[in-house]
Amino acid sequence: MSTMTINLKVWRQKNASTPGKLVDYRVEGVSEHMSFLEMFDHLNEQLMKKGEEPVEFDHDCREGICGSCNMVIDGQAHGPQKGTAACQLHMRHYKNEDTITVEPWRATAFPMIRDLVVDRSAFDRIQAAGGYISVNTGAAPDAHAVPVSKEDSDIAFDYAACIGCGACVAACPNASASLFTGAKVAQFARLPQGQVERERRVVRMVEQMEKEGFGDCSNYAECEAVCPMEISIQSIAEMRREYMKAIT
Amino acid sequence: MYSLLTAFQNSVGRKILTGVTGIALTGFLIVHLAGNLTLFTIDYSNADNAFNRYAHFLHELGLLLIVAEIGLLAIFLIHAYLGIAIYLRKRKSRPEAYKQFKTRGGASKQGFSSRTMIVTGILLLLFTVSHVNHFKFGPGWSGEAEYTQVVNVGGEETQIRDLSKLVGETFQDPIYVIVYVAIMILLGFHLRHGIWSALQSLGAMNKKLTPVIYAIAGILGILIAIGFLLLPILIYFTV
Amino acid sequence: MSTKSNLNIETSPLLESKVPQGPLGDKWSSHKNNVKLVNPNNKRKYKVIVVGTGLAGASAAASLAELGYNVDTFTILDSPRRAHSIAAQGGINAAKNYKNDGDSVYRLFYDTIKGGDYRAREANVYRLAEVSNAIIDQCVAQGVPFAREYGGLLDNRSFGGAQLSRTFYARGQTGQQLLLGAYSAMMKNVDHGNITMHNRQEMLELVVIDGKAKGIITRNLANGAIERHSADAVLLCTGGYGNVFYLSTNAKNCNVTAAWRCYKKGAMFANPSFTQIHPTCIPVSGDYQSKLTLMSESLRNDGRVWVPKKKGDNRKPSEIPDEERYYFLEERYPSFGNLVPRDVASRNAKDVCDKGHGVGASGLAVYLDFRDSIKRYGRDKISERYGNLFDMYEKITDENPYETPMRIFPAVHYTMGGLWVDYNLQTTVPGLYALGEANFSDHGANRLGASALMQGLADGYFVIPYTVGDYLANEKSAAVDTSHVEFEKAEQEAVKRIDKLLKSKGNKTVLDYHRELGKIMWDKVGMSRSEAGLNEAIRDIKALREDFWNNVFVPGEQSTCNKYLEYANRVSDFLELGELMARDALDRNESCGGHFREEYQTPEGEAQRDDVNYCHVSAWDFPGDPDSEPVRYKEPLEFENVKLTQRSYK
Repeated sequence: MSTMTINLKVWRQKNASTPGKLVDYRVEGVSEHMSFLEMFDHLNEQLMKKGEEPVEFDHDCREGICGSCNMVIDGQAHGPQKGTAACQLHMRHYKNEDTITVEPWRATAFPMIRDLVVDRSAFDRIQAAGGYISVNTGAAPDAHAVPVSKEDSDIAFDYAACIGCGACVAACPNASASLFTGAKVAQFARLPQGQVERERRVVRMVEQMEKEGFGDCSNYAECEAVCPMEISIQSIAEMRREYMKAIT
Repeated sequence: MYSLLTAFQNSVGRKILTGVTGIALTGFLIVHLAGNLTLFTIDYSNADNAFNRYAHFLHELGLLLIVAEIGLLAIFLIHAYLGIAIYLRKRKSRPEAYKQFKTRGGASKQGFSSRTMIVTGILLLLFTVSHVNHFKFGPGWSGEAEYTQVVNVGGEETQIRDLSKLVGETFQDPIYVIVYVAIMILLGFHLRHGIWSALQSLGAMNKKLTPVIYAIAGILGILIAIGFLLLPILIYFTV
Repeated sequence: MSTKSNLNIETSPLLESKVPQGPLGDKWSSHKNNVKLVNPNNKRKYKVIVVGTGLAGASAAASLAELGYNVDTFTILDSPRRAHSIAAQGGINAAKNYKNDGDSVYRLFYDTIKGGDYRAREANVYRLAEVSNAIIDQCVAQGVPFAREYGGLLDNRSFGGAQLSRTFYARGQTGQQLLLGAYSAMMKNVDHGNITMHNRQEMLELVVIDGKAKGIITRNLANGAIERHSADAVLLCTGGYGNVFYLSTNAKNCNVTAAWRCYKKGAMFANPSFTQIHPTCIPVSGDYQSKLTLMSESLRNDGRVWVPKKKGDNRKPSEIPDEERYYFLEERYPSFGNLVPRDVASRNAKDVCDKGHGVGASGLAVYLDFRDSIKRYGRDKISERYGNLFDMYEKITDENPYETPMRIFPAVHYTMGGLWVDYNLQTTVPGLYALGEANFSDHGANRLGASALMQGLADGYFVIPYTVGDYLANEKSAAVDTSHVEFEKAEQEAVKRIDKLLKSKGNKTVLDYHRELGKIMWDKVGMSRSEAGLNEAIRDIKALREDFWNNVFVPGEQSTCNKYLEYANRVSDFLELGELMARDALDRNESCGGHFREEYQTPEGEAQRDDVNYCHVSAWDFPGDPDSEPVRYKEPLEFENVKLTQRSYK
């Protein structure tokens, strides 16, 4: 099996208060079957064998569902492949001696922790500002008490599929979190269970998004293009409709 | 339960207002263009023409016109304010830029028209000031004889402004024509993203219809721009 | 119809199951009627720590906070929503009988007990089946978008080990949707101020005061700060330890550290060797591989498993005619066919590969073929059912499963073993509870598909809110001051270990050790085990552990984000756990469920249980030093309602 050599330019930053910079690495012995993160494992092994400090990056499930991985690869959140998180991107999409630039998610609302690791807790706070249906444990009616049309249920699922990775923010020229927030708002707005808190939810989540320091949406739709779950910006339109209904 | 005023304080509200004002301004442009279309048909040497009569008709609306103008100005200013506010917030939301940044393509609507909204917007703002100053408050505004003429309006002899003369003269200057045409091209770009974006901002979107509406919005934007920019070219070469 | 195991058992008074008296069907309700209650106004005076925020942790945290307790949650990830429950694909079981196919609480109970090869506690499993329906209700009310039919009602599918359709699902992302439901319930309580989240915090020590769990020591993974947190009860919801095998379907950060540190503080570890090897995973492709990816068991609803009849047949699968294909599951198990339980499917796949029929470059794979289903239902229907799984497969392997069969091979997926808990989910340390995969309780020696989600949520939503109250009602609600000497001691232990790791600047990386450990575990404590192999494993792991502490390289410093330090710390615990797993497997001279000892098999090669000598839970007690031999105690399993038989899926 032939292997490749990849030239990496990786963002290294010790912490939020120290300025960072791109550092060049040459990674040899990269197999085309490696995932992008496995290539980073491989780089880190090489660094540590030389006694150097490895590159810190967030990762966990490595099957595209936990939303941990966050790399801007050659200027694109999660890299060039459609509907794919960085962990599912494979090196077969690159060729020998390619140069790849890897940067962290950049947004005021996502403060730097180290290297490629940033703090995405702003998403948790948006979720806590009404991104739920208030039903206490044990207080639920029978699951068949309220039928939900298959169409609504399927669309709600499309929105609910969000993995909370933050690529939408990273790729947005304005660093807006509208797709993340819109997806949650639109999911619940579609379901009968979500009706009671509908107005309160959209207003509070939108206001929280503002407080966190995310930018405005300019309808670039770049978020949809990079979303690993390919969530449609229709959710953003739905969020605005919800918002208009709530304030009028 | 929530006040309309809060809308200015968050991104969704700002975007909705940008959309509403944008649609209103687009509506104004279409009406303006309709009025301009009369300029294709008239004889510039005779002040008694459809364009001047239309202008006069508007002028005669009096208070109504002033109210409409103030409304339009307010919409324009709100739209401009929001556009600038959105831009400034964007700068704050990502202080450290990517070393490399590029669009994924596909669903993305990122491109020249969408990325330059702030630039085209500001140029249009400056243009509008000069445009209004030049035509509305230009020669004839205070009733100078050279730019007025008495015509028969509804059976009465009335002094009206010969605005078409000013238009005809203005577009004899090649520099003015070029600048005007260039600005109209920018307007086309602004509308190309703006019309679609306004509809999306107002929630009038549906996943299946998005490509259709995006295309229609583009065509509409281009048509409006072409409508405006053909006129000076035509005048320059024919009048 | 009562079976008791042998009487000369090494019992421990600590291993009292506390199963309530009375008929099986009444145990849980009578227990709920008898537990002590905490006055609503007093609940807020109690603090409960929940470590781990997967299905079990998030649901427990939400439910307890709703009751009025003060809850502190801890997760090693940057958000509770990323816990590995998120990756569960196929579905969640419930005895709703919406399909009118004869399902009932008893049948779900029976299938689960039988699927676990009769090594689980009857009363726990029955309770699990009993609360299963309420879980579905709860999740639907939270807005979980389960698959529905055109009439607007919920759809079901079948899973291995059951002849009924009782699995509720949300495309191939059921775990994600359930976790996001539990997470949203949790976030509601964060919103209301009842839950304080501590994200990117790893539990390093349990603090035990006067024999009771009273707090934890954590490390902040963003800045290295060591913190003390006190509470009136500690809930461990930290998942399984499949990563001891290095390659598994677990997420990279899944680890045993929290549970292991509790074991070292007196919580006994039950059935550590009970590991589930999942039959349908994408095969290993090279040494660099960091993890294995599961392809949901639900695929076996429509996919047919086969290998070429001819050994070493290199033809493309499409060129192999039907009569030259060996549909080994269908042929060997005609009544369950491709839907035999996981342990059976895995063992058979290994068997045909061992006999030379395996496919792919390594010969360690079998086909999972959708050709016939696509013919029957059309590509669209199959895509609707499994689209995301097919896409995932294609991304990883660069092969299109609509056109060519998937290649699959068994991989470590789940650990049935875990901290020993009684009926109340309390470990042998009072005040310390274990929920979900972290405990050993409900799946015996093999877990059925779609039961893990059920158990995690059952424990968190519907069991712990009652049982923890029963404990707290007897506890004074004075949260211990964290300046207590036990906190000081526990913190010192944690700091000492980290310092020791950081000083280690040897020449092998943590990954090197983890890989080596994984190889030992897979080869000798994996799908098939033998006395000789297990003895070798114990010896090799000991040696590897010693080498680790002498030669490992741990980079960086304590006071920053340092993932390789975290990793080293976790692997150091795996190096101790692995040995215990081998000991447990060696100690259990029978085959049952996922525990297959080569010496004990039926003439057909099925697992041969020994109900006379091994119908018990093995609970291991920490000897005080990792290099000494742990003590094994037994909790006898009593079956009053089911008859122990040789499992047959033929």
